[in-house]
Amino acid sequence: MMASMSAPNTLTATELAHQIDSGGVTAEAIVRAHLDRIDARDGDVLAWSHLARDAALERARVLDRGPRQGLLHGIPMGVKDIIDSVDQPTTYGSPIYKNHQPLADAATIALAKDAGAILLGKTVTTEFANRFPGPTRNPHNPAHTPGGSSSGSAAGVADFQIVLATGTQTGGSVIRPAAFCGVVGYKPTYGHFPTAGMKANTEWLDTIGAYARSIEDIALFRAALMAIPFTPIAKLGAPPRIAVCFTHHRDELSPEGTKAVNDAAAALARAGAQVKEIELPAPVRDMTQGQKTLSAFDGPRAHADEARRFPHLLSESLKKDKLEAGSKIDYATWVAARKLGDTGRAAVDALFDDIDVILTAPAKGEAPLGLERTGDATFNLLWTYLWMPCVTLPFAKGPIGLPVGIQLVGRQHEDARLLDIAAWAKGALA
Amino acid sequence: MKPLSATAAVAAIEAGTLTSEKLVRDCLDRIAEREPAVKAWAFLDPARAIAQAKAVDAAKGGILRGIPVGIKDIIDTYDMPTGHNSPIFAGTVPFGDAACVALCRTANAVIMGKTVTTEFANRHAGPTTNPHNAAHTPGGSSSGSAAAVADGQVPLAFGTQTGGSVIRPAAYCGVIGYKPTYGDFNRVGIKMQCHSVDTLGLMARTLDDIALFRGAVLKFPPVPVDHRTGAPRIGFCRSPVWDKALPDTVALLERTATVLSSKGASIVDVAFAPRYDDVIDDHAAITGWESVRNYADERLRNPDKMSAEIKEGPMKRGLAVSFERYVAAQRKAVAFRAHVDSLFDKVDVLLTASAPGEAPEGIGFTGDPVLNSIWTLAHTPCVTLPAGKGSKGLPLGLQLVGLRHADDRLLSTAAWVAAHLD
Repeated sequence: MMASMSAPNTLTATELAHQIDSGGVTAEAIVRAHLDRIDARDGDVLAWSHLARDAALERARVLDRGPRQGLLHGIPMGVKDIIDSVDQPTTYGSPIYKNHQPLADAATIALAKDAGAILLGKTVTTEFANRFPGPTRNPHNPAHTPGGSSSGSAAGVADFQIVLATGTQTGGSVIRPAAFCGVVGYKPTYGHFPTAGMKANTEWLDTIGAYARSIEDIALFRAALMAIPFTPIAKLGAPPRIAVCFTHHRDELSPEGTKAVNDAAAALARAGAQVKEIELPAPVRDMTQGQKTLSAFDGPRAHADEARRFPHLLSESLKKDKLEAGSKIDYATWVAARKLGDTGRAAVDALFDDIDVILTAPAKGEAPLGLERTGDATFNLLWTYLWMPCVTLPFAKGPIGLPVGIQLVGRQHEDARLLDIAAWAKGALA
Repeated sequence: MKPLSATAAVAAIEAGTLTSEKLVRDCLDRIAEREPAVKAWAFLDPARAIAQAKAVDAAKGGILRGIPVGIKDIIDTYDMPTGHNSPIFAGTVPFGDAACVALCRTANAVIMGKTVTTEFANRHAGPTTNPHNAAHTPGGSSSGSAAAVADGQVPLAFGTQTGGSVIRPAAYCGVIGYKPTYGDFNRVGIKMQCHSVDTLGLMARTLDDIALFRGAVLKFPPVPVDHRTGAPRIGFCRSPVWDKALPDTVALLERTATVLSSKGASIVDVAFAPRYDDVIDDHAAITGWESVRNYADERLRNPDKMSAEIKEGPMKRGLAVSFERYVAAQRKAVAFRAHVDSLFDKVDVLLTASAPGEAPEGIGFTGDPVLNSIWTLAHTPCVTLPAGKGSKGLPLGLQLVGLRHADDRLLSTAAWVAAHLD
């Protein structure tokens, strides 16, 4: 079956919510449309580690019979398989957990369900949200990675297989795959989305995030996942003050990545934004290495059980990146990396006296060729460790026609404002 | 006969004068004798413990070689149920060990069993009684761990603290409780209540044991307590909630300050800057906002299986906290932590109360965490030392608070204080 322009799986969640309210479409029809798309495409994309076909249809029918449950009534969502679901298997991308059935829903799933969302299935994650990839392919070009570790969620949303999906970021695993797949990705301020039921990678960094095809959808999804009142995207009173930051890793940015940031800055300036370029203060530059220290250190501790009972079922990549690297970091180095966070965050927060948002690159460039690696998180690491909210918007195409996005980074705790600015920017870049 | 410390037991096992099996059997005998009164254990399978001990004896080596450890029942164990003192989870066995449990096994310890917790480490109490007086609470939420260690049933046990749930029960039961700098101990496999403050803690009967246990949980060679540090500079910090300290506690701390001063410590009064007088409200806002979200599955899918106490209390209060209030509290907490750090420019350690007083009568109420929550919010390392008895004959503790990230120094300073208390 060919997807038509108004097929439910091509609409945004916001549009679907209006149609459900007006009686124009049922939840069941929405789920069916997504399943049809999945059946047509997922043999090529491989976004799903589990699909709850019958349960989702049944839940949709129940929702159709009853009153509006909440913000996401009747909307199907995918959840990265690093997050526990009580009624669907959860493998964490690891053969150790091949048949694992958690005892409870993660908090984000519970809150989304309470808002009326339908858990359509679990999306592919790399092993323990680290580097060893799953089978997912970039929907724009199956020879290329979709990025990771939230591979299935980014690919699924990009491919119109699912309208909303969650991911997680410890290094760059929400933002980078969103950029590679050409969708909107949102990594909230650290700690805003409740992490109960998420398999931890690095406690000091792990952040649950969201994928959609519009900023309005991110705002809707965010309110449900945080159990806060929904406020729609607000028009800005004035164009924002934008600080362009290539970071001290600028030499590693590809030509297409650099061009995207420059072109976006120019377009936003034409739309009225005040744009200037900034360098990051010195302590912040150290936070890229700080992120790596934190992430490695947690390896032998977070995976102490798996390493003890199932070492033969761990990938060489995990053993090397996390277990070996982590065992070499001494306590003082780790403590210094943690203290750096306090210093760095204060330094960047101070920048926001004069700016409203930072414009930067979400990844090095287009999604690299090959499926064995999920790409490089160099342009994500320090924002993750800064705990600041990040949004990536699709913007351009690279030399081989793959998406190249831009990243907007907001002040810690001011996520709603960042989304407002991102919506303004999306309009200005159109 | 005084129960063995973990340090002494490891030494004896390494010297070949003791086996883990013998130690574990002795502990099991003690538990069997006392469990009808103390009720510290939510799950205990003696045959499994002995089988582990035999395997541990065969394996040899390990920082915690042969030591039986009690695990608070909100912490996952792959071979034992993790019930959370909740009908929702009663009898359920998680897939894996928590990180701290796996690290104990890696250190060649024996996982003795699961100690009683309050429901979801909150307020609804379990059946555990205070080993010093069964008519009184042992405190909570780490009720069973404190009682088991105090009663000589195991030398080491895990607790967790979101408000006061390591320090307070340790003080009530007359043992050493240690809450490390937030973030030091990995929390994988511990039920998440409040991600911004939840901290895994340790209970033992000696500071050397705490240092040993700490090494195993960090996966580093233990840093031994330095018993030869000099007299510290002590800041007597009454904290803004001092009015909650009962006369026994006030008298104890004043007396302690005098005694330590006479032994060479310098003592100054330390107070927070006035803007932090209400910081306990920020702790409540943060724990309230986060806990209702982290417990979303329980309260939405199984509300009838949650106690009225937790629903009417923490869940209801938490749902009333707005996001704006939460963010304000988080920002204030960051400033507060920097402020507390600065207090250590002039002192080495803060002296304060571990709990309002002795363990209250009755086991339905685990006591007030008001004197602990501030320090949990501050993310500072804390130690409670047994410090005599109160007017009802129950233990009192005194709390020492250290600079964030300087836990080893805190433990050594605590050793000086402990050695100079009388």
